[in-house]
Order: sequence, then structure tokens, then C-alpha cells
Amino acid sequence: MEGSQPDAADDRHMDAFLDKFRSQPYRGGFHEDQWEEEFDKIPLFMKKAPSEVDPKENPDLACLQSIIFDEERSPEEQAKTYKDEGNDYFKEKDYKKAVISYTEGLKKKCVDPDLNAVLYTNRAAAQYYLGNFRSALNDVMAARKLKPHHLKAITRGALCHLELKHFAEAVSWCDEGLHIDAKEKKLLEVRAKADKLKRTEQRDVRKAKLKEKKEQNQNEALLQAIKVRNIRLISEAAGEDEDTASEGLGEIFLDGLSSENPYGARLSLDDRGRLSWPVLFLYPEYAQSDFISAFHEDSRFIDHLMVMFGETPSWDSEQKYCPDNLEVYFEDEDRTELYQVPPKSTLLQVLQHPRYFVKALTPAFLICVGASPFCKNFLQGRKVHRVK
Amino acid sequence: MDQAGRTAWPGAPAGPEATLDAEAAELLPFLKQGARADLQTAAAQHILALTGTGPGRAVLAGQAGLLQALAELAAAAAPAPAVARDAARALVNLAADPSLHEQLLAADPGLHARLLGRALDPQWPWADEAAAALANLSREPAPCAALMETLAAAAPGSGLERLVCALCTPGYNARAPLHYLGPLLSNLSQQPAARAFLLDPDRCVVQRLLPLTQYSDSSLRRGGVVGTLRNCCFEHRHHEWLLGPEVDILPFLLLPLAGSEDFSEEEMERLPVDLQYLPPDKQREPDADIRKMLIEAIMLLTATAPGRQQVRDQGTYLILRELHNWEPEPDVQIACEKLIQVLIGDEPECGMENLLEVQVPEDVEQQLQQLDRQEQEQLEQQQRELAGGSKGEGPAPT
Repeated sequence: MEGSQPDAADDRHMDAFLDKFRSQPYRGGFHEDQWEEEFDKIPLFMKKAPSEVDPKENPDLACLQSIIFDEERSPEEQAKTYKDEGNDYFKEKDYKKAVISYTEGLKKKCVDPDLNAVLYTNRAAAQYYLGNFRSALNDVMAARKLKPHHLKAITRGALCHLELKHFAEAVSWCDEGLHIDAKEKKLLEVRAKADKLKRTEQRDVRKAKLKEKKEQNQNEALLQAIKVRNIRLISEAAGEDEDTASEGLGEIFLDGLSSENPYGARLSLDDRGRLSWPVLFLYPEYAQSDFISAFHEDSRFIDHLMVMFGETPSWDSEQKYCPDNLEVYFEDEDRTELYQVPPKSTLLQVLQHPRYFVKALTPAFLICVGASPFCKNFLQGRKVHRVK
Repeated sequence: MDQAGRTAWPGAPAGPEATLDAEAAELLPFLKQGARADLQTAAAQHILALTGTGPGRAVLAGQAGLLQALAELAAAAAPAPAVARDAARALVNLAADPSLHEQLLAADPGLHARLLGRALDPQWPWADEAAAALANLSREPAPCAALMETLAAAAPGSGLERLVCALCTPGYNARAPLHYLGPLLSNLSQQPAARAFLLDPDRCVVQRLLPLTQYSDSSLRRGGVVGTLRNCCFEHRHHEWLLGPEVDILPFLLLPLAGSEDFSEEEMERLPVDLQYLPPDKQREPDADIRKMLIEAIMLLTATAPGRQQVRDQGTYLILRELHNWEPEPDVQIACEKLIQVLIGDEPECGMENLLEVQVPEDVEQQLQQLDRQEQEQLEQQQRELAGGSKGEGPAPT
């Protein structure tokens, strides 16, 4: 268009156009009550792009999109557009969409290594914020293949290693980056953090090792104490009785010693070298039981019974379970023969009985009221020995 | 080894000086580039032998032409390996003699730059010899300052930065272990410009040196690093940064002093993580001089009140207590005691735990401030003496 003088013909057309509105209302304008919504639909005035572009709802926008994503533009241009799109999503913290955009950009396989390196690095950043640290690392390494000294890629890589707890690698990557820019603040920060975490991790390893060694020593001491006393152990699984002298069995029990039994108690050695056992008292008459978490081997059954049966228990409907009435038995492993234990015996004395086998490191005893009908019934038909 | 404490290679006994002079002069043509290889080799060997003795060195010092030829040979890529090596070693011996430094530089003004270039060249087979020569040169203040200037003037990435990199990168030079860079750096760290670079808070330099306090393969390198760190600890203004999380220098100074102690759980938690749960086979620093330097460095860090507190809070006393029980060397023991005194002294009385809240009458306040100033001055004086006494240091090289 030339000339500063308005064309007279155009003027007349304009006048005619404007004159129309004396009689006809202008229909192309905004509606008074919803002008803001309509405003937002015009691409030029959009503050935020809609996440999905529906051509029916928004024909103008769809039109614009088809222009910028036109397949006829060069791969570089297309890739750049995708990069920009990804960056916009990234700014809005829509990392999933950002990843998709960057991926589309990379799919164009344009020949510009800088652009591709940036696409990889940006995608890595988006993956990082999505918590996909390994994917992010892969992208960063791809970026560095194209541009080994890409500082943002190196920084992102160091951050990924940090999140993955690869502290030594994190420090190493930071050093590579600092080789390029010795004063890069983020790298200095990450390096210091990673180094400290690495040293803390080393401490944790040392601590665990020491603890394990200590535990192992304790367990060996326990096993030794048992061995010295000639107490026979049986594991849950084993059906036969074996001498604790055999090495293999010792290992099974070492494991058992480490873990607590279901009742939360374990065998222990005091500073005088005396053992305390978790012990089960079973009352077959009423199908009840009592658990003693630490029965000192030198204490007597009667001592415990006196305390436990100071008052008769609630399940003792006949109120006959008093310390003086109680009789203590143990079964031999074949569960055929019973042995009666004098209540004044110590635990150690009983455990050392040649026919006593400690099962699952928890000695168990049967208790009933002597001379009661249940007891007579219970003992009937079984061989009963008296333990000295 | 000729002079104690200086790196030197063995030489042969010398004859009367006059003939030596003449002899030496005769060797000059054979040392030039392009001379017959076997003659060059023999000449270089002969020179090396001469440098093994005082008179021999003096003779050579007088022959500027020889010195220059030697310097060139030592750095030249062309001649037979043995020649360059012997020439380089001859230079090391010459550099060990402070009286010769002037002549050396006069004969070859580019000596420093050339030696630095070779020492820091990852491919150069005689980098160790170059480093040793530099270590020897740097023991004297004047060449040391000159070296620092050369380094400062180098292109970015080639000067002190490169030196630290070479020191801290295992396998930097496949053919030369470069342990001598340790004492070299230590000597350089007496220069303020070197310390400024090492302690630059915008960079990561001193942090890289810290793990080397545990470098078991070479007491030379280890001692050099510890000496460097100790010299850096003279910078009061950097103490907070040094003791803080960005550098965290204290654990690295304490670790070589710690054995495998069985601390209680509660005591263990007070120590820095690097000192917790040390394995039963943990060994203390075997070199007494290095132990002493470590204690000195920590002592320097207690110069300011906040620094003192930081050092106390990190369980230093526990480590030193055990060290004191073990320490066989009397002078190290004394240093240990002095530091322990600083750590356990000054305990606040009941009610005075927070000194900021104690009401001090004004005249007493002024008196205390006066005493403080005097004490600070005394301390600085002591430290100047310490610094002066430690010039040109180096753990006894082999």
C-alpha cells in the first residue's frame, strides 16, 4: 500500500459499512454478560492455552497449531517448535506433557546436535521432576554423547546420581563439570552435599558391620554356653535329636538366636556367664499357657510358681492351682514318656536331663494339679519317670 | 644423600677444582642437541656425578652455558631417555643447593616455567624429576615467590589449578607418581597468593586436598598436603568457612590422629561421621612430623572463639585424649597437651554458660577487652614464629 493519502474509494466503502449499523445491530461483537469467556477464546488474547485443542470449540487455535506443526517445515524448525512447547509445559510444571513434547522433537531426528542435546537435557530435567531418575540419567548421557561439555546436562546428571544415592558418581560428575566451569555454584553445592552423604553412608556401613560382628560374637558366646552345659537343642524342623556338637546344627541355632521368638524374648547371657531362657508353662487341663520371658537357669520352678500362682488364675474354675498342688512335667521328644520335675529343681538341672530337648530355644513344661482327676487321666497309659 | 632433607641423587667423589672446571667446560659440546648419542649419554652421566658433591656443583654453577644446556636437555623430548633423565636429575641436585639458585635462573630465565610445564605434563616421563627440582627450588623464599608469580601468570587452568589437579588426580601421569608436588604445594602455600587461590570460596580447591591426608602410599605427598592445610589455617578470616559444611576440614585433620577406639555409643555420636565406628585395624599417622603438623593445624583453628567452640563441639577432645595415651614422641605429646588445654580450659562456670547474658560492669568489660587484644596479639606473634620456623619444610624425602 503506498501513499499517505487515503484512497477516496476506500473511504466511501468504509462510510457505507458504518452507515449500515444505523439500522442493523452489529452481530459480531461480544455478548455483554459473557464477554470475558469469549475474550479468552480468541487465541491472541489467551492467557493460557487449553490443554486439549478441540477444533470444534476452538477453530482458530486449531488452525494456528496446524501451521506451526506443519509437516512441511524443516525437521530443525519442527524440533525447535516442540522444544518451545515442551519448555512452556515445563514452566507450568506439566512435566508429563513436557516429556511428550521433547520426545516429539527428538523424533524429528534433525541434524542439529545442539538442539538435540538441549532436547535431551530438557527432557531429563522433566523426568527428574517426575522422579524418573534413571530415565533422566539416560537422557543426560545421550545429551553428553552429542555435546560432552554441556554443563546443564552434567549438572542434571550429578543431581540424578544424588537422588539415586550414587554419591561417588555424583561427586565425579560435579568434578567433570567444575573442570569446565570451576565456579559453577550449583555444582559446588551438589558436590559438597554428595560428598557429605557419601561419608555418612560409609559411616553407616561401618556401624552395621560392627553391629553384625558384635551380634555374631554374642551368639557364639550363647552357643558356647549351651554346649558347655550339654543341653540338647532341637530345631523346629528337625525330627531327630542330634548332638549340639555337630557344626551344621550350630549354624541353624545361630540364626535362631538372632531372631526373637514369637513372644519377643530371647536367650541371654548375663555378666556372670549365667543363662536366662524364655520358658513356656502349659496347662493342658484348661488349654492355657504362661510365658516367662527370662527364666534364670539357677532359679527354681517353685520360685516362679509361687509368684505366678499367688492368686489362682482366672481360668482356674476350681481354684485348685496353688503352688503347693502343682506338678511339673516334661515330655521327651517322642512325646510318649513323661518326666516329673521336682519343683525345687533349678531350670538348669532339668535342661541338662539327658532326655530333655529344648525345642526352638524355648523350653516348655506341662503343669497340672497333682491328684486331680485330670492329672490322673493325663498320666494314664503313659510311662512316667521321676527326675532326681 | 648429600644434604639432609634435600632431594638428591648420588654422585661420585670429586677431584681438584681447577681440573673440574676445565673438564666441565669440555663437556659442553657433547651436551648440545644433535651431539652423538653415546657421547651425550656419557656427558650427562658425568654431569650428574658432579652434581652429587658440593665442589662439583659449585663448578657447574659457574658455567652458565653448561647450565643452560642441561636445562634444555632435561626438558627436551628428542634425546635418548637416559640423557633427559640424568640431566633432569642433575638439575634436581643443583636446585637442592640454595646458593646456586641465582646462577641457575641467570643461566636459564625460563627455568621455572619450563620445569612447571614438564612437571604438569601428563605424558612427560621425567615429570617426577621436574617436580623434585621445583620442590627443592621452592624451599627458598625468593624462588618460591618467583614460582608463584609464574604460576599466577599462567593461562587459566594451567597454573596452580593444574598443580592441584595433578596432585589430586590418581594416575595423572602414568609414568610419574608426582609425590613431590606435595612438598611443592606446601612451600607455595606460604605465599598469600597461593592461599588465596586454595581458599577461594567460589571454587572447590582445598576440598580436593582433604582426602589426601589419608594417602597411605607416600608420606611425601601426605606431608605436603598436611603442610599446605596447616599453612591455610593461618587465615583466620576463613576459619568459619573451613570448619563449616562447605569444607568441613576438621574430620580430615582428626582422622589420621585417630586409632580404633572403642568409644561408648554416646561418645561416638559426638564425633564427626568420618570418625565414627572406625574398624579395629585403623592405624594412626605413622610419621611424627605429620602428626605434629596436624595438631598445629587444629590449634590454629582454635584461635578464634567461635572456631574454638566448633572444634570442641566436634568431639576433638575425645580423639586427642586417646592420641595422648598412645603418642610415643615427646614433642608431639607436648603439642597434643597444649591443644587439649585449649579445649578443656575456659569451661563456663555455673550460671555463666551463656556469656552473652552475663552482666559485666563497664570498667571490668574494658579491662577484659584489653586483655583479649593482648592475647590475640601474642597469639599472632606465636603464629608468625611458627610460620617462620616452618619455611622451606618438607618431610625428609628419600
